[in-house]
Amino acid sequence: MRKIAARTLLLMALLFMPAMLKAQYVITDSIIPRRIVVKSTTHGIAALDNLDTYLSGYSFVGAGYKLSHENFRDALMGKRKWKYQTLFNATLGIALQEINIQYALLADYSWGGYHSFEINDRLQLLAGAQAQLSGGVLYLPANGNNPASAKIRAAIAASAMAIYHIPIKGRDHILRLQLDIPLAGVMFAPQYGQSYYEIFGRGDTKGIIRFSYPGNTPSWRHALTFDIPVGSKYRNNTLRLSYSGDFYQSRVNGIRTHIYNNAISIGVVRTLYKIKEGDPIKAYSPY
Amino acid sequence: MKKILTYTLLLLTLTGCIKEDSFDNDPIGNFDALWSIIDQHYCFFDYAEKEYGLDWDAAYDNYRPMVSEETTNEELFDILGNLLAELRDGHVNLSSAYGTTYYWDWSITRPINFSDSIQRNYLGTDFRYNNGIKFQTLLPDSIGYMYVSSFSNSLGSGNISHILAKMGRCPGLIIDIRGNGGGMITSAETLASHFTDREASVGYMLHKTGIGHNDFSQPEEMKLKPAKGAIWLRPTVVLTNGGVYSAANNFVMMMQALPNPYIAILGDKTGGGSGMPLNSTLPNGWRLRYSACPMLDVNGNHTEFGIEPDIRVDLTSEDWDKGRDTMIEAARQYIKFIYQNLENSEKEEGETIKF
Repeated sequence: MRKIAARTLLLMALLFMPAMLKAQYVITDSIIPRRIVVKSTTHGIAALDNLDTYLSGYSFVGAGYKLSHENFRDALMGKRKWKYQTLFNATLGIALQEINIQYALLADYSWGGYHSFEINDRLQLLAGAQAQLSGGVLYLPANGNNPASAKIRAAIAASAMAIYHIPIKGRDHILRLQLDIPLAGVMFAPQYGQSYYEIFGRGDTKGIIRFSYPGNTPSWRHALTFDIPVGSKYRNNTLRLSYSGDFYQSRVNGIRTHIYNNAISIGVVRTLYKIKEGDPIKAYSPY
Repeated sequence: MKKILTYTLLLLTLTGCIKEDSFDNDPIGNFDALWSIIDQHYCFFDYAEKEYGLDWDAAYDNYRPMVSEETTNEELFDILGNLLAELRDGHVNLSSAYGTTYYWDWSITRPINFSDSIQRNYLGTDFRYNNGIKFQTLLPDSIGYMYVSSFSNSLGSGNISHILAKMGRCPGLIIDIRGNGGGMITSAETLASHFTDREASVGYMLHKTGIGHNDFSQPEEMKLKPAKGAIWLRPTVVLTNGGVYSAANNFVMMMQALPNPYIAILGDKTGGGSGMPLNSTLPNGWRLRYSACPMLDVNGNHTEFGIEPDIRVDLTSEDWDKGRDTMIEAARQYIKFIYQNLENSEKEEGETIKF
């Protein structure tokens, strides 16, 4: 009886072996990178210059910590012609005007789509648009009934990038300059002399959501990043050094605001290969 | 690409940078900055001009020559304090290392009409205390008495409901806010909301919409919803004096507007202070507070310079000597008077307390 069972198992193994081998082959062959995503996280020191005439007619100057996180990838379609970027920035800072202390918490998220123009092997220019969402608060505890100014804004922005590859010691260093200019959107702004008690305590919300355009919110931001491969060339470790400048300004409901944020940051870049079964499609780096 | 860059630069040039106020950080610059902030943000120019002939431009002409580059900070602080006193507004203050300027006339030129020593004769030693409010049942007529010295504490409906529940057997209530200089308007609202069983219009609020002295929004109706908790509809007397200011003044304004017919304001005219103050800073960092958002009573009238009581009573010197509070006694008489009238007309309103 044992002999019969052993022979049956052996026979089954011989019968299914080719299929098993084939299946293994197919799986191996179809596990290919379907998408390459370049992720970066940087930490930096920001120089702040905040003006909000709802709180004070004078600028508060200080410093803060800035966190940036970016996903940058090639689109699946169009073979390197389209690229997407999501970008998150958050700044926590403290600023002074003489003896007065102001705290700032500001964050923004943007999603951008770009068309790429390859000028040559080294230079690539990208033009596109961004959807931006930003929020935050400037907090001046010394003010009694107007201790804070909320910053909430959604906008569509024009965005452009220039990517330049610099080979140093046989390794690819990437320099990138990005410029974003909000063109139209909506923003929150209290009326000239309105207290937040009227808005949130009594529900007087007339005229606090305003259309924004470069005429009343002449703002822009730019970022210069330099990606440096470090360590073994087989390890794919990349260091990012960056300078970013965010210049938000508004002149709405008689209230003048500027929030200038210049930051120097350092962080790491990780290139992730998203793997999925399917037809072989070659994935490209967004760079 | 060149075009994009050209248009971008053109756009940035056209829109330009948004800059801070252009006053220098020197005595003259700080004087001009303060005068300008008040000129562009203060909310009672028109009303003060009608009441006592305030002329802010003339004030500049009078005080500006007192300031020169040689003026010391302490001298400047005093000059600016005197300039601000022209507004006769207790909500206008300048704060620095030299102190805080105050305009006190709304309070100290008026009869004090209150004595905490006399009050002890009523509170005794066994009074209760809840979130800043002292309360007691006055014998022999079992009138409830609560002393709200400030609205600086954040009052909740739970606090007020607890106090009112403890006074569930009292036929009437005295709310003593004499000397209450204000605090949080939300606390004043919370307390007032326990004295109406329906949503009521209690006044109007508006704000500046531009730098002109008369650039104001349309008055927005202030509605008060009944509290979620104990509602007191029995006879209620609010005791006031010249020290009742700001949020306490607004409390009186709201209580006067409630549809409960058994609420009376008794005592002296309040100190006023109906403008919600906002703050700003001078180039040298000194902090300036000013009235920014006026509140009007339910008839659309300013209450900046005080609210007249329904029943005018002063604390007499005879009673003072006897340790007797004329106002509390008058309030007790008023509550008795209400009940006598109710009995006469066989009405039963005001005899329920809801939980």
